[in-house]
Amino acid sequence: MNEPLLSVRNMYVTFSSEHGPVDAVRGISFDIHAGQTLALVGESGSGKSALAMGIVGLLPPSARVTGEVHLDGQSLLGMSDQQWSGIRGRRVGVVFQESLSALTPTMSLGKQVAAAVRVHTNLSKRLAWDRAVELLDMVGIADPGRRAHEYPHQFSGGMRQRAVIAIAIANAPDLIIADEPTTALDVTVQAQILEVLEQAKAETGAGVLLITHDLGVVAGHADNAVVMYAGRAVEHASVEDLYRSPAMPYTLGLIGSVPDAGAAHRRSLVSIDGEPPSALNRPSGCPFAPRCPLVTDACKDAEPELVPVGAEASAHTVACLRFAEVQGRRPDEVFRNIATVVSGTLSDERVLRVRGLGRTFPITKGEIFRRKVGILHALSDVSFEVRAGETLCIVGESGGGKTTTLLEILRLRPPERGLVEVLGHDLSTTSAHLVKTRLRQSVQLVMQDPQAALDPRLPVFDLIAEPLRAAGYGAHATKVRVLEVSGLVGLPPDGLDRFPISLSGGQRQRVAIARALVTQPRLLVLDEPVSALDVSTRASVLNLLARVKAEFGLAMLIVAHDLAMVRHIADRIAVMYLGHVLEEGPAESFFKSPRHPYTRALLSAVPVADPGRERNRSRVVLTGEQPSAWTPAAGCVFAARCPLRPTLSKEIQQRCHLERPALIDCSDARVACHVA
Amino acid sequence: MMILIAINATYFFATLFLDPRSNYRDLRPTRSDEEIGDALALYGLDPRMPAVDRWWSWLSDVILRFDWGHSPTGVPVGSEIPHRALLSGQLILAGVVLSVILGVALGVYTASRQYGIADRVLQTLSVLLYNMPVVVSALGLILLAVWFNQKLGQTVLSVAGAGTPGGVAGGFWPVLLDRANHLVLPTINLTLLGSAGWHLTQRSLLLDNINADYVRTARATGLTRTQAIRRHALRSSTIPTATSIAFTIPAVFTGAVITESVFGWEGMGRYFIQTIIRNDVHGVVAVAAFGAAATAAGAIFADIATAILDPRVRVN
Repeated sequence: MNEPLLSVRNMYVTFSSEHGPVDAVRGISFDIHAGQTLALVGESGSGKSALAMGIVGLLPPSARVTGEVHLDGQSLLGMSDQQWSGIRGRRVGVVFQESLSALTPTMSLGKQVAAAVRVHTNLSKRLAWDRAVELLDMVGIADPGRRAHEYPHQFSGGMRQRAVIAIAIANAPDLIIADEPTTALDVTVQAQILEVLEQAKAETGAGVLLITHDLGVVAGHADNAVVMYAGRAVEHASVEDLYRSPAMPYTLGLIGSVPDAGAAHRRSLVSIDGEPPSALNRPSGCPFAPRCPLVTDACKDAEPELVPVGAEASAHTVACLRFAEVQGRRPDEVFRNIATVVSGTLSDERVLRVRGLGRTFPITKGEIFRRKVGILHALSDVSFEVRAGETLCIVGESGGGKTTTLLEILRLRPPERGLVEVLGHDLSTTSAHLVKTRLRQSVQLVMQDPQAALDPRLPVFDLIAEPLRAAGYGAHATKVRVLEVSGLVGLPPDGLDRFPISLSGGQRQRVAIARALVTQPRLLVLDEPVSALDVSTRASVLNLLARVKAEFGLAMLIVAHDLAMVRHIADRIAVMYLGHVLEEGPAESFFKSPRHPYTRALLSAVPVADPGRERNRSRVVLTGEQPSAWTPAAGCVFAARCPLRPTLSKEIQQRCHLERPALIDCSDARVACHVA
Repeated sequence: MMILIAINATYFFATLFLDPRSNYRDLRPTRSDEEIGDALALYGLDPRMPAVDRWWSWLSDVILRFDWGHSPTGVPVGSEIPHRALLSGQLILAGVVLSVILGVALGVYTASRQYGIADRVLQTLSVLLYNMPVVVSALGLILLAVWFNQKLGQTVLSVAGAGTPGGVAGGFWPVLLDRANHLVLPTINLTLLGSAGWHLTQRSLLLDNINADYVRTARATGLTRTQAIRRHALRSSTIPTATSIAFTIPAVFTGAVITESVFGWEGMGRYFIQTIIRNDVHGVVAVAAFGAAATAAGAIFADIATAILDPRVRVN
């Protein structure tokens, strides 16, 4: 084979900390050839971002990088900032995550792209601007000439991420490093962004280093993959080999913990016990040993080296003593702790009933005298119900009104339009006193990011006890109940005196759940409950939710955009778009036979953790993004983006355009579409 | 609106606490309360008249003829303010401009060298200066200048007043030189103390921005660290600074009380003190009105500056 484009050999990244030096990356080696994509897979804290930033010399000065990094034979380590500036941007482009903070807020997008162009060329400002507009057009920003004058905050997340890609490829680099490029984006937008990256790669012939924690993304877009754990490569293989015969228990567990939205029936989820070790006190021996179901005494003695699997010349290497036993087994055979789907007893009690819920916000304009210039229809005619022991998931792209729906219910106040009934009490007639004494305790909320949702200055005990104190429990009763609930959610007994900061992400979310459960609610409202968690801990939190639901006959209302996760936990699913429910029905039929074209497009955008299926399946790629709910169309709200519409006859197209479809019964589901 | 409320409130508070009669009590021959009242009635300050009536006649004068009244000894307030404000402006404008330039430059310089030797030395110096009372530094400077003058045997640096008493002969240039000479010491004083504050604020503001993700993005396009900071981080970090600079504009014209007193400048700051000492109700209110107007102007400038620098606050 010819010379690799990027060659990394035995690379170490060391940070200095109060507790002495910490190795974030320990002895990683890999090659990337031109036109190839290598994926670095790992959970947070595995050292993958430190590795990538080390390659382009963007680590803080306190970090030390050793080993060898060669780009086309040129050594990259130990260069001065001056020398680096000749490499970065011209030969290596970086796509960052978090596009809001990655772009300068005080510069227009066009100016930022033009500036990137001008760093390495001596184009005039005019020509650089023209080139920037061209680049923005290339990454799929509509009307680039006008939008180039706008600032980052005026763009949606997906559009900003496109601009970040435009900056990265401004000077046709040989190597593109993409650091979690699609994290926090909607699945439909994620699919578009990955498409743009592929296109950028094809256009520049560059090699790509793709950093991600999403095994579905890896399956569809990478040629080779390195799985990182605790700063080490634990498995290195071609993507086909990695998914067909993973040799490291960790890889196997990761693959098993990704819910599969496309599978014919609901598959049990594997959950890996425990949390990744902190970089400060790693166990001696294999770092994965404390969480590994196949651990033996030999594993704890010394850290295993990367060795070839099977044939000697094989490119598939793994750092595990027992790889021979791992290969060829299914995740649920190796991991005992299976998330079994407990179906609780369904009662007929309707805990929550929503009928024709509507909510509008005024849009104001003007600097001194604000005047109303329009109405934003955040919710229009939203109807659903949740029974005791049932989970309803609301899905859809961001901006569809999912969170507004939650907030309208959580307010426990008379709705602007329509009917909300909680535990049989119509909110428009319920007295404020009853709401305060009874309903508030019966409806509880779990939010997305537990780190932001929990007061960092309260110990865990007080965090859980707070709702009880608000409800007037005595000191003794509070203590008994807190201990009971913290045991129920699986918090360690010594965890009650600790502060949220010293807990892991999964434990923090357990605290948030305990806090919600402590008043014995009947309805639990969850806003993206696992999307801030690591892949391997998600499954165990989902397990917990399924268990408490079955045990207490809870009704759960979950907002989520991760359809694979929804597949695992939902009993019923409602799809929202522009404040309208487009489809509502049982989860099984939602995944098996989706009816609404929007539902089909959503499902099709979810990547599957299986390279064979992922690459060969046919897709419905949605173009564009959800419009704003400023001036909703008279007809079907989805008509403008509907992939089905161009195939329809003239009369039906006209009907989609003029007549808003009602949510009608369609076997066991309800669908709002003229043709479904 | 707020300005109007503030001014009128000041009028009543001043009437309550200041007693213009005391200006006449020490005069010889001793005057009766009747006589003092009659003298004051001429300027609308007669304490025998109800405060509300006095206020009304004062207010109508202000509104109808822009006449801000007289001091208890009969000096019209309106004639005092303009030249004093100019004098203060002369003194303080240079001080503010220099201290902002010096302070912000120091902040940028030290922020890019966080925890380096230069950063630590300059920061210690700034903290010291920041905590130093104006009187101490001003007197220190005067002592230094006097010592310097004695060494050279002639007055090179003037230590008091806005100009040589009695004026300087010889036309425009000598006068200008004389004025500039008198400006040197107070300006140095204001610059040193003012820049310390700007330095410390700008340093911490820029540090907040230096490690921002977008600076990393800029470096990834091939800019060096210094270039990336200058082109991308600096602008965001100057938004709060610009706001506070705009708010120091009123200070330019309301004067620096202590600096003016120590260096013997008859500016607005001293006028403020003198009006209080002399129980000059109208003078105090005029100073307050002037300050309020200047502050309002400063606030508007601050908003305009923020809108220019930060596209996020612009309303379409």
